[in-house]
Amino acid sequence: MRVNWKPFVLSLAVLLILFPFVYLVFLSLASEWRFPEVWPSYLGLKNWVTVFGSETGLLRSFFSSLLISLSVAVFSTASGFMISKAVFYHPKKRTLTLLAYFPYILAPVVFAACLSFFFLKMGLFGNMTGVVVAQFIIAFPYALLFFSSFWNEKVKSYEDLVATLGGNKWQTYTKVVLPLAKGLLMICFFQTFLISWFEYGLTSIIGIGKVQTLTIKVFMFIKEANYYYGALSCCLLIFPPVVLLYFNKRYVFKKLV
Amino acid sequence: MFLEVQHIIKSFGAEKVVKDLSFSLKAKQTLSILGKSGCGKTTMLKTIGGLLSPDSGKILLDGEDITETRPEKRNIVYLYQEDLLFPHLNAYENIAFGLRLKKIPEGLIKEKVGHMLHSLELEGQAEKMPNQLSGGQRQRVSFGRAISTNPSLLLLDEPFGSLDTGTRQRMQELFKKLTAEYDITSLFVTHDLKEAVLMGDQIGFMQNGLLTVYSDKKDFIQDPQTGVQNEIEFWGGLR
Repeated sequence: MRVNWKPFVLSLAVLLILFPFVYLVFLSLASEWRFPEVWPSYLGLKNWVTVFGSETGLLRSFFSSLLISLSVAVFSTASGFMISKAVFYHPKKRTLTLLAYFPYILAPVVFAACLSFFFLKMGLFGNMTGVVVAQFIIAFPYALLFFSSFWNEKVKSYEDLVATLGGNKWQTYTKVVLPLAKGLLMICFFQTFLISWFEYGLTSIIGIGKVQTLTIKVFMFIKEANYYYGALSCCLLIFPPVVLLYFNKRYVFKKLV
Repeated sequence: MFLEVQHIIKSFGAEKVVKDLSFSLKAKQTLSILGKSGCGKTTMLKTIGGLLSPDSGKILLDGEDITETRPEKRNIVYLYQEDLLFPHLNAYENIAFGLRLKKIPEGLIKEKVGHMLHSLELEGQAEKMPNQLSGGQRQRVSFGRAISTNPSLLLLDEPFGSLDTGTRQRMQELFKKLTAEYDITSLFVTHDLKEAVLMGDQIGFMQNGLLTVYSDKKDFIQDPQTGVQNEIEFWGGLR
């Protein structure tokens, strides 16, 4: 009889994928786990209670990150969508699209160093607005390139058709263009949220330690060798993307397939 | 005359696509325009529909100069070769689309769309989404969407070009029936010789951006440029 290995291989793959996440949760519940002990001396909610008591400012970082990422995702998705249309109809479309790749040529830290002078002059150094603007500079070109595939002759024909049927610009957008782009808009929102959520280089330079996002905190804990808080902040770091992924899967991908 | 087009010129860069276009059309009549690809038919229709601005010339609709009027204010509907049904709306909502834009009361929309579905022989298909309809049904919904808004002028840009021969023939018959039922004035562009003869009350021939409108069908048949004589010779030669 031939053994069917497929379920075993699949289960192993699922276990391997899930292991880091389960281990992070486990580590966030532990403390004082020293070599060669095989089990932590304490396993409980102590770290979580401390965090929610805001002693380490993790919860504040979580909300700061959420506010920054939501702002970046909303602004970059909305402006990327609108401006990608202008780029599509522009005679110098190719040059403009090429320019959108510019922020990705440089490493984020180098890019931030280049921008820092201007941010300092504009009073955007070390505050949340500055971090939002800096992350927007990275997320916006992504949104622009993402939506460049949406605009085409067919969408133009839809717009013209609505106009001849008596629709104004607002009606064209609300009744046709936005419903057509709904799936892509949600995916772009999700992606730009993630770009901002996990951004480290730009945020650390423009935020100069005053704006402590969750990603910055994670690196700080790791540098301090505080693995338990590091794991806990990683759990917090993963939570919003998982929620977004769930909504994307439930409401977007199902409709796109 | 209901539609008067006077000396319209339209260029893209150095290329003059429509050259001194002039013709007129009576109300409730169809002018079919025959022409090969790239002869300027679509540019002509888009200019009349307000989707492109002419370089010079004038367009009068029912005595009113509409040359500078925005497309949404012209009450001229442009129908593409593709049906362009809105994929997020079912057949009923697609037909009701133009009526909803004009904020017509719900009761009247229901009545008009119901009547239109009956005229289009689409009863029972109202709830279907565009991807559940056949090519012919989709094109009928597209017609319904255009006609339900009661346009002053209908511009048809090779509307049956993507249909198979049988469906195409049925759609031609349906179009004739609808134009009579709803008193439609239309410009019907096609590259199919037989379709041009069948659909139009008047026939025009477009070549290199120039349009010739024939006063009667005999002149069109006699003109060697139109290709009718070649067709007659070909089919006669098979006897």
